[in-house]
Amino acid sequence: MKKTHIAIIIFIAIAIGAIMVTINDASTYVGFNQALEQKGTKYTVIGYLDTDAPMDYDARANRFTFTAIDKEGEKQKVFYNQPKPQDFERSEEITMKGFATDSAFVAEEILMKCPSKYNEQNELAGYDTYQE
Amino acid sequence: MEYVGEHILPGEIGRLSVSLAFAAALVAIIGYYLFEKTQNSNYRKLARSAFAAHSVGVFGIVLSLFYLLLNHYFEYDYVFKHSSLDLETRFVFSAFWEGQEGSFILWLFWHAVLGLILMFTAKKWESYAMMVFSAVQAFLASMVLGIYPLGLKIGSSPFILMRETEDNLGLPWTQFADYLDRFPYFMDGSGLNPLLQNYWMTIHPPTLFLGFASTLVPFALAMAALFKGDLKSWVKPTIPWAFFSVGILGLGILMGGAWAYEALSFGGFWAWDPVENSSLVPWITMAGAAHLLIVFRNKRTGLAAAFFMSILTFILILYSTFLTRSGVLGDSSVHAFVDLGLSGQLLIYLLFFTLISLGLFLYRYKQMKTPDDGDDLSSREFWMFIASLVLLISAFQIIFSTSIPVINKLIGPEGLIPILEDAMAPPLDAIKHYNSWQLPFAIIIALLMAIGQFLKYGKTSLKFFWRGIAVGFASSLVVTALFAQLYDFWRDPLYLSLLFAAVFASVSNLWFWLKKGKGKLSFAGSSVAHMGFALILLGALISNARKDIISQSQVSLGEDFPSNENALMELGDTVPMGQYQAVFEGMEVEKDKQFYQVSYFKDQNDDSPEFTLRPFLQMSEQMGPNPNPDTKHFWDRDIYTHITYSSDLEAPSPEGYKNEAEIKFNTGDTALYRNHFVILDSLEYRSPGGLTETAQLMLNRGESASYKDYQISLDSVSVNARMDEETKALRAAKITANLQVLAPNGKVQIVRPAFIIDDQTKEYRDTLLEEYNLALRFEDVETSSKKIILKVSTQLEEFKNSQQTVLAANIRVVNVMGNEFSIQPAIINEEDFTEYRDTSLEAAGLKFRFEDVDAETGDIVLKAWTKKDEDEKPFIVQKAIIFPMINILWIGSILMVIGSFIAVWQRLKA
Repeated sequence: MKKTHIAIIIFIAIAIGAIMVTINDASTYVGFNQALEQKGTKYTVIGYLDTDAPMDYDARANRFTFTAIDKEGEKQKVFYNQPKPQDFERSEEITMKGFATDSAFVAEEILMKCPSKYNEQNELAGYDTYQE
Repeated sequence: MEYVGEHILPGEIGRLSVSLAFAAALVAIIGYYLFEKTQNSNYRKLARSAFAAHSVGVFGIVLSLFYLLLNHYFEYDYVFKHSSLDLETRFVFSAFWEGQEGSFILWLFWHAVLGLILMFTAKKWESYAMMVFSAVQAFLASMVLGIYPLGLKIGSSPFILMRETEDNLGLPWTQFADYLDRFPYFMDGSGLNPLLQNYWMTIHPPTLFLGFASTLVPFALAMAALFKGDLKSWVKPTIPWAFFSVGILGLGILMGGAWAYEALSFGGFWAWDPVENSSLVPWITMAGAAHLLIVFRNKRTGLAAAFFMSILTFILILYSTFLTRSGVLGDSSVHAFVDLGLSGQLLIYLLFFTLISLGLFLYRYKQMKTPDDGDDLSSREFWMFIASLVLLISAFQIIFSTSIPVINKLIGPEGLIPILEDAMAPPLDAIKHYNSWQLPFAIIIALLMAIGQFLKYGKTSLKFFWRGIAVGFASSLVVTALFAQLYDFWRDPLYLSLLFAAVFASVSNLWFWLKKGKGKLSFAGSSVAHMGFALILLGALISNARKDIISQSQVSLGEDFPSNENALMELGDTVPMGQYQAVFEGMEVEKDKQFYQVSYFKDQNDDSPEFTLRPFLQMSEQMGPNPNPDTKHFWDRDIYTHITYSSDLEAPSPEGYKNEAEIKFNTGDTALYRNHFVILDSLEYRSPGGLTETAQLMLNRGESASYKDYQISLDSVSVNARMDEETKALRAAKITANLQVLAPNGKVQIVRPAFIIDDQTKEYRDTLLEEYNLALRFEDVETSSKKIILKVSTQLEEFKNSQQTVLAANIRVVNVMGNEFSIQPAIINEEDFTEYRDTSLEAAGLKFRFEDVDAETGDIVLKAWTKKDEDEKPFIVQKAIIFPMINILWIGSILMVIGSFIAVWQRLKA
């Protein structure tokens, strides 16, 4: 067998390894309930901001507290150990990576999806005021 | 309808140019095809003219769009969305390619330029290569066609008027011929994203897109070779293009990193974001392809691999385009494009070229067999082949992990073939995930880059090998030890290995250039590029692995929480920040930017600071405040700082208070604010005249109902009508309820509330039982049941003459000790004037305002604040990171790009 063939076989083995490890490394999107069942285990939860609940950033403790509602409709208090992300109120969707504790879900990383300005077309002036 | 004030002509020219570009590309394909079939040179003439016409079309598109942007024709959707009147002219370029359509056009433009060059230089490859080019261009031009045949959307045009967009079509305002004058909305555009208003946005996208475009040339040449079945001679003319691509795409990617580092607050130059990854991966495979082409050119071996990598690179470019523009990455990337509804079209584009190219490759595969002599372990080509394989695995690993959202779309729970039970999410710690794979790959690549320099094509004698490598190896060990000592790498074997490999690679390539290339510039290409790449690895390793977040605050939040990486700085206070004492000196506003001046002192007693940084927040209506870092550059390290929060951003609170919070709740609900339970017990309402506790009673004749301790019964209802003397028409009627009120002491009183109606007004004649403080109003008669509606209220003596309407909330506040405080914040209305009666709990330092009642839910809206300390000052929260030796990274970047271009020049001469 040629040595290049051996190299290619090794290559394929590593590629398969990469797939397996990635699938292993990949977390899953879950709801708060599942995160609460396994406290301390890291999960990614997608939800949106509960605008009815108070939102609070304590600059001295550097802790941002808010309430999120996940896709199953479950409400959960969330701690975020970072300053309040800019424009947080306007977010449509929040992706939270973190773990559940007894008192709250602790988000270590937050990604927000904001309504892009492309969606604001419908608010064209005159649409509401001028109707025939 | 004739619309007034629109500038139709430039848009028409733009649309016409798109059509021309699209149609001419198709003609070029047919022309070249016929030429190959018949060898009639008239067909080639036709094809060439068609591609020239196509290029004219593309330049026409570019010019029209610039014309629209420069003239602020906001009736055009693209101009409106991406620019505004106050946009500086130098940012018009940024506005041009901010949107998807604009960046497609940029891509088209570079393809047209490269295509023209190729047309004149490709010689025998021209027909097929230009067919591929034209096909790619036809697909790209279709992305900006913006037509809707048979209800399908093909492309999205930047030359569409706002009133013609899908969202606006048929809206009332489009019915006004003079809508541009009538609605002030159209006076100004919504503007360019402030994050993109810097020079990086001007130079990064065109460079990156030139990089993307450049990958098409090796692809087109490889395809031409496959079509013709002439599998070998394409390699030589392809090599300079491949190195050009490596250089320019690399430059584009590195510019992106530099932009992220200089002007965005991601906290570094690389974050393994899907969008970053999808441009890195084709670069890696292009680097592999370029080396495989060299191997074949020198040793006539590994042809299939060279074909495969050249083709794969362009396919990966298409795949990246699909990833970043189809909306697939929505959940996992911070800066992917939004979906324009073109994902289907993008997918067809991707599949078309993938199937054709891989199909052809397999069809010709048998003919690509090359002699087996490239298999000697001591030959340079063997290890170059291995290095290319490693590059391929590295690319594969990155693209696989980046594709998790695509995998979800395919086999996730809501995908095409639902195999997975849960949707896969990208790795929780993306940086760790990618690093754990890419670090070992980088070590191997760097080692191969080093050892390869001591090997010859064919066979290398051991004596030659060892004599060369000994010096390089030894000197690298010394340099590695030095760095390891300085930056404490002894305990991390993986980091230490990469450190050594990177140093070894730079030293070896320097050796190779001096020894074998005699230091001549014309021999420098590979050595300089390799050295540059090795230095990038070295700089990235040291600056990332030994980055030091010096803005650690003292606050501890428990064991499980990540350490706090943001420092709070009050105005004028000295805060330790690494080896410095930092002072927040003040804030200055310049236009839409708030600059925060932070001085760094070596010693607290120093009079003048060592240096001062001014990170700023860019305020914008669309995007909110955006932090922009400021970095102090030293030769051996950078101090990178950005504002993560500022007290200026807090919602305006009443004098002396802060931490505004809004509580929405209903009677009986409890909320939590600053360690206090806030319980809403009840609501009180008082209308003018001091009436309160109003109840509504409904009575039929002879019935009675109770209000508090009183029994109220209806004896009869009498109607008094007044007729018009002449017409006998009813002019007014007085309707009176004859009521008995029975008090608890057995006393009965007769009252007669009434109302008078005429055709316009309704007037109440209320009665007041002063003895009981009871007010009665005969509200109405219910038409169906003939019941009378009676409103009974208690009158509060002291507010008898008040004209106020008061809505008050009875709230209990309970602190952690269990102490209860009752408060009654209220909203007071008097003649259209609203006043808040706030209540504060001095001891707890809390203040409450009854803000509003939610009309939908009936919830009350309460605002709460905490008291500010008397001596509380404005503050900022700042993150500061030291990146050691990051300059090695930048020097490496520059060297790598220069080296790649020297290589292009070298190969063009050869």
